[in-house]
Amino acid sequence: MSESGRYLYAVTRGLEPQQLAGTPGLDGGHLDVVEHLDLCAVVSDVALDEYGEEGLRRNLEHLDWLERVARTHDSVVHAVASVGPTAPLRLATVYLDDEGVRRGLAERCAELDRVLGQVAGRLEWSVKVLAPATPVVSTAERGMSGAEYLRRKKASAEDKEINDALLMDLADKVYEALADGTVASRRLQPQDQRLTGLAGTMLLNAAYLVQDDDGPAFQSHVKSLQAEHHEVSIECQGPWPPYSFAVLEQ
Amino acid sequence: MEQTVTQPQADRPSQIALVDLLDRLLGTGVVLAGDIVISLSGVDLVQIRLQALISTIRSDMVEPR
Repeated sequence: MSESGRYLYAVTRGLEPQQLAGTPGLDGGHLDVVEHLDLCAVVSDVALDEYGEEGLRRNLEHLDWLERVARTHDSVVHAVASVGPTAPLRLATVYLDDEGVRRGLAERCAELDRVLGQVAGRLEWSVKVLAPATPVVSTAERGMSGAEYLRRKKASAEDKEINDALLMDLADKVYEALADGTVASRRLQPQDQRLTGLAGTMLLNAAYLVQDDDGPAFQSHVKSLQAEHHEVSIECQGPWPPYSFAVLEQ
Repeated sequence: MEQTVTQPQADRPSQIALVDLLDRLLGTGVVLAGDIVISLSGVDLVQIRLQALISTIRSDMVEPR
């Protein structure tokens, strides 16, 4: 039989294990709470041949495995976040035993405390700004001379450059405008078009930390910006647990 | 410009898209030094997710070898 380790999902405060009854951990594992002072780590057993160093290296390359682990991790984080302030851990944080988990908590105790204070009563919203798909330049207009075609093509490339710069500028303005009235904001790397499957180029991939009660106001702010700016598409999603804002200083 | 990107707007079910979830679970979140040490530095992660996701998308588009 394979040895087991402890997979750490999230850190919170004041959690009773029975509050997570009904939420399964990875591979159906039972969720336990490991405490250090007032910090509570939510963990479950995982097999080390799958989640040990070698296993992780191998498994992280497989999208099915990655998706299954990411979805389960996310569902546990949601369950924890529905009960109290939650600092989600990065995927695949594994300790050999509860003693290791406690040591991990103790090492970053003050920082974890600060992060939990920062995210308590707040949720994350995602906002993406997308440029429209590039219009196809007609290459075969009837009766156009070669010189005329080249001239138009050059003009069209120049237009596109100017247009791209304007759209980037607009995305920056949207980012700034939405930050107003939120607790914190950050820009994530815009996502590759091949991954999103969306038609347009992503100009902005932003995350905002918003007070629980301010969610509807934030959404209507997005809607009003979209109404002002038809030249881009502004997509708002959430609320999610505060993944992007539970960050320890290194 | 009249053209807009056609795509679903908010009010969709709140299930987070995998690409958004991986952005967060691999790129942000609390990093504690676990007992199992695996090099998941920023660059590695980007490569892992791009490789994993793009290879899946590609395999949907082309005939399997």
